[in-house]
Amino acid sequence: MKLLVHAIARRPCAEPPAGLRGSTLEWIAAGELGIWATPLPEGTAELDRDDALDHHRIVEALADREACLPVRFATRVPDATRAAVLIVGREAELSSALVRVAGRREIAVTLVWPEAAVIPGRGHRVQGGGPGTAYLAARQHEHAADDARRKTAEDLARRLETDLAVEQADVWHVMCPSDRIALSSSILARAGEDESLKARAIEIVSGYEGVRAVVSGPWPPYSFVGAR
Amino acid sequence: MNEELTLLELTDRLLQRGVVLTGEATISVAGVDLIYLGLNLILTAVETLEEKKRRSA
Repeated sequence: MKLLVHAIARRPCAEPPAGLRGSTLEWIAAGELGIWATPLPEGTAELDRDDALDHHRIVEALADREACLPVRFATRVPDATRAAVLIVGREAELSSALVRVAGRREIAVTLVWPEAAVIPGRGHRVQGGGPGTAYLAARQHEHAADDARRKTAEDLARRLETDLAVEQADVWHVMCPSDRIALSSSILARAGEDESLKARAIEIVSGYEGVRAVVSGPWPPYSFVGAR
Repeated sequence: MNEELTLLELTDRLLQRGVVLTGEATISVAGVDLIYLGLNLILTAVETLEEKKRRSA
């Protein structure tokens, strides 16, 4: 029987939520810390999207009860003994991260380019010259367009940090993760301020020109599990 | 559209962030379904939604 790991915490909570697919959640003590996991019976089918969302429900419920560090979804270990071994030697790092995220949630800000997915310059053709020249010129245009978008995304990221007045350590940006997305940001709210931060973010980014914004969360601090 | 983006952002976090346990831990998911939801492939989802919107207009 394998275990699906959900989160790391300092102590078990009194009334833990149900585990994956309604199973009983298991607490595995490991030195100063412990692991929340669901036993997966042999022959359990592959984990899928519903399981991922169920994992999210479990982590959210645990985080509501006690500070915890979410573990990447779909992490399985052979048994409790070997699960505990995995965090031995990492107590200081994990404890520090637990202190940092205690009572805190993250929100997500996604900025989407409004126009069609084609990057300006993509497909550009020059008059004259051979096919090699045309190809190189087109590539040059594509790179220039990509650079310009990235620069805009970086500017938006800096502006978001300034407008929200958040510390750099509490922000995680991914610039241009796809052709349509300018910026995917995670912002760690101070304890008890996640909803007010979200409201402020919605108001601020609605004024950003040239992009469409979606603000999501609050969620457990998935993006801030490392001690910084 | 907003709900789709929110779901994509959440799934991206579940799959790509959180504490990574190394050693005997393994990460295994039903590839196609989850990878489809990854933020990197958001273009597919957005285009599908926009196409639906165009058709219903």
